[in-house]
Amino acid sequence: MSGNVIQDKADQRAREESMKAIREIFLKLVEQIKNKEEPSLVIKKRTLSNTIYDPKRKLLLLGNQKLVRKLFDESEARTFMQTVLMARIIYEALKNNEYPTIRDLFYRGKHTLPYTSPRDRFKNTWEEQKESDAVLRDVEVLTNKLREEMLILSKEKGKVVGDMRLRSGNDIIDLSKMGHGAYAIESTPDLIEFVDYSADYVLVVEKDAVFQQLHRYGYWRKNKVILVTSAGQPDRATRRFVRRLNEELKLPVYILADSDPYGFYIYSVFKIGSITLSYESERLATPKARFLGVTMSDVFGDDVPLNEIYITPEESRIGNPEKLRREKKERFLKALKDLGYKGKLSKEPFMTSEERKNFIIRAKEQDLERAVELVGDKVYKAFAGEQLKTTRSGKKSVKKSPGYQWFQEPKWIKEIGIFFLTHSKLEIEAMASKGLKFLAEEYLPKKIETKDYLD
Amino acid sequence: MAETTNESFRQMSPAEFFYRNKEIAGFTSASRAMYQAVREFFENSLDATEVHGILPRVTVQISREDPNNPDFFTITVEDNGIGIPSTVIPDAFGRVLFSSKYKLRQTRGMYGLGAKMAILYGQQNTGKPFEIFSSTPSSKKVYYYKLMIRMDKNEPLVLEEGEWPKSSGWHGTIVKLTLEGEWSKRTKDYISVYLKRTAIIAPYADIIFISPSIEGEGKEPEITLYRRVTTKLPAPPKETKPHPIGVDLEMLKMMIAERPSANMKDFLMRSFQRVGEKKAEEILEKAKIDPRRRASTLTEKELESLYKAIKDTKFIAPSSESLSPIGEDLIKIGLKEVLQAEFVDAVTRKPKSYGGHPFIVEAGIAYGGKLLENLDEIAKDSLKGQQGPYVALLRYANKIPLLFDEKADVIWSIANSEEFSWKTTYKLEQTDVVAVLVHVASTKVPYKGVGKESIAPVEELRKEIEAAVQEVARRLRVYLTKKRKKQEAQEKLRLFMKYIPEIAQNLAYFVTDGKELREASKSLERELLEMAKRKVRAQLEQPEELTHIVPVALPVAEQEGSIEDPSTSEEEEE
Ligand SMILES: Nc1ncnc2c1ncn2[C@@H]1O[C@H](COP(=O)(O)OP(=O)(O)O)[C@@H](O)[C@H]1O
Ligand SMILES: [Mg+2]
Repeated sequence: MSGNVIQDKADQRAREESMKAIREIFLKLVEQIKNKEEPSLVIKKRTLSNTIYDPKRKLLLLGNQKLVRKLFDESEARTFMQTVLMARIIYEALKNNEYPTIRDLFYRGKHTLPYTSPRDRFKNTWEEQKESDAVLRDVEVLTNKLREEMLILSKEKGKVVGDMRLRSGNDIIDLSKMGHGAYAIESTPDLIEFVDYSADYVLVVEKDAVFQQLHRYGYWRKNKVILVTSAGQPDRATRRFVRRLNEELKLPVYILADSDPYGFYIYSVFKIGSITLSYESERLATPKARFLGVTMSDVFGDDVPLNEIYITPEESRIGNPEKLRREKKERFLKALKDLGYKGKLSKEPFMTSEERKNFIIRAKEQDLERAVELVGDKVYKAFAGEQLKTTRSGKKSVKKSPGYQWFQEPKWIKEIGIFFLTHSKLEIEAMASKGLKFLAEEYLPKKIETKDYLD
Repeated sequence: MAETTNESFRQMSPAEFFYRNKEIAGFTSASRAMYQAVREFFENSLDATEVHGILPRVTVQISREDPNNPDFFTITVEDNGIGIPSTVIPDAFGRVLFSSKYKLRQTRGMYGLGAKMAILYGQQNTGKPFEIFSSTPSSKKVYYYKLMIRMDKNEPLVLEEGEWPKSSGWHGTIVKLTLEGEWSKRTKDYISVYLKRTAIIAPYADIIFISPSIEGEGKEPEITLYRRVTTKLPAPPKETKPHPIGVDLEMLKMMIAERPSANMKDFLMRSFQRVGEKKAEEILEKAKIDPRRRASTLTEKELESLYKAIKDTKFIAPSSESLSPIGEDLIKIGLKEVLQAEFVDAVTRKPKSYGGHPFIVEAGIAYGGKLLENLDEIAKDSLKGQQGPYVALLRYANKIPLLFDEKADVIWSIANSEEFSWKTTYKLEQTDVVAVLVHVASTKVPYKGVGKESIAPVEELRKEIEAAVQEVARRLRVYLTKKRKKQEAQEKLRLFMKYIPEIAQNLAYFVTDGKELREASKSLERELLEMAKRKVRAQLEQPEELTHIVPVALPVAEQEGSIEDPSTSEEEEE
């Protein structure tokens, strides 16, 4: 097998290290059995309650809670078997110089088991990929190796261009010579070797379309930028690649996403890690990543015009809209103060109120709920009183949520406060619609120059 | 006008009286009459055997003998009992209210009525005489009588008699009665159920039942056989004197009539149990009667004050020697044998009394195995009306199965599944079927009506029945707990066995690095299987938990974080 593939060194090293890690863990089980101990695996819990935010390192990490998975426990025998099976499949693939996808792992392990127990009606080792994915995560946590390090592939989504050369496999790739296309960030970004580059910072664009526009416009060449897109929710490879650019090359990383709670969350995944998969954050997150835009204050400025403050149709029917708007603004200012915002409120918007009329989208209830999830229900109440959800009975309720600590900084509170005040969101495409030139020559450079970002 | 009346007067004989009121004795319909006739003779046979220490062997045959009268049935019952002295035979079967059982001890027959009622019922419709062969153990001959009852005189009319010398040691009685009846499924059920239930509490008896096929004539007769499975007999009842609390004024007079010349103190001491010198004096002092008075000289008034004095005196509870409980062992043997149940148990409570009458309650329980298919038709009918857990009640009074009026019986009111916590306290499943046997033995069973098919809710009795049923139910629960635990353990082992080979194979890969997996895998598998067995065994040996069975629910698997990710999915499908 290895005869006709010229394996590069990085690949070989990763294989050997991963194999060693797996073997060590699972030979311990064999040891236990030989010593007549009931075999058990100790795995860090991948539960929300065991997900800890480390404010110093600004990372989501797995805590120290552990679960003991025992073969001789009726409820765990099956997952125990699945864990061992998954480990063996990965190990064998590594040994055979293969690069399975997670779907491959599912198929390789799936087979029928003998029918011995009327109580346990499962026919196969696993029935759905959900099951094999879950134990794959357990193997990652157990061995402290990410799937990328175990050379397991996934769909490539992220792309990169810029004045940079890197080695992938046995090839040198020049990221400045990709034409109108871009280099697809490989599933195993740890095997990439940075050869040389010339860049001042990294710009990660959430939207693929905006990435393409900036690329064609020559933005990266002109501004000495490594331009990356995650094309939506970032996959692990893109996150790991961005992290390496920041950590190893010391390049500042700026994230450009929609101005809405969803865009904020994407930034958070790059920066802090994903909540459900916190065990990978240590290697995937980029704690120093900055949210460049689009911010709410980019759209509205700090001083939201009274007539752009949102009032519900009901409110406008019952009360005096003018008076209501004034009250809301006052509450907004008071809440900011109460929640610890000390800066001046003097930022000018990048858009005129006329432009806003054209580009702004009204937030949906779902967006509001997501925002409450980010900052927590206490912050929401400070801004908006009680009214979030109008239930059928006419009662208003807010879902309880502690919020994420990193969104509870005054700067973020101000941004999300403006969102609550205006019930508006803005997609990056809208900024581009105002003119690509505006985006590339005015908005982005000015934001970077004046350090107008959040982190 | 009154003087010129033509009204004629005559005395009615007991035979005629009882024949006119034959419903009281159970002869209500053609079906019930056949059942009742079989019962009377069959019970006489058991009284003539087990009460006297003989292992019974009783054959009951029903046949059509008269081709011209297809509704005439001849019932033949043969036993190996003590027989009847030849001189007594005509009276025993030809005179209503003639009996050897007017004694204070527990027998099935008690009133000297049964056989005669059957004979009267038979002869009045068919005109056919009754036939009997009998021989006592000490007799060298077998005697034969063919007789009818003269209803107007309450006298036997002997039509034929005969005797033969006995060559073998045979003793016993064969009776033969022809009556007009009906052979239907109903009749057959009554008799079969009765015999089956008797077989349950008399596993020491051979019972043979030969009956016409219900399909019609020409078919082979059907034979049902309950074989003797033990030679253990219940201890026979002893004759006792009455307990003072149990007598009424009339009985007191009768007792005096038996001992007219005794002085009062002697009379009391000799006629009653639990009355010694002191008690006798105490009673007589209360009644203000001189202990030396002759019994026959008491005036009506003195009799009344004597009766009152007795009622006002405290006595030791009545002796239970006159009772003959079946016993725990025999109940268990019978239930097991006849119902082929997986689990049986029984309890015989200590003797108690009510109103001067001693009684003993016994209960048995049967569960699982072939119980359901071996239950009798009447029990199955009762199950149909229930909601579950299903309770098949087998009621007995003085060893006689009670087949009718189940819902009116105090036993039903205690043990039916709406009243009794079979499910909650005793852990039966909704679909479970359990057979519960209750036997009340007493010198006076408090029946609810003249039909004698259900027992009245006398408080002392009710308490005992409840305690007995609770006790057997509790034992069933202990059994079920153990059994379920065992099943749990077995199922657990099966579950481990499902996954062990897979685990062994995969782990072996790490041991051999992919080479020669078989050996390594087999050895790991052996080790793991051993471990699994040890584990399960250890669990079985844990001390029993008697009161609680916790159904094993699979714990909910560790949940992943529940905060919804705003993204649709972070995991690719490929
Ligand atoms: N099969 C029998 N073997 C011995 N004695 C019998 C038998 N059948 C009847 N007898 C005698 O005949 C008597 C009358 O029987 P029966 O009319 O049934 O009244 P009961 O059984 O109430 O005494 C019995 O008391 C018993 O002495
Ligand atoms: Mg009788």
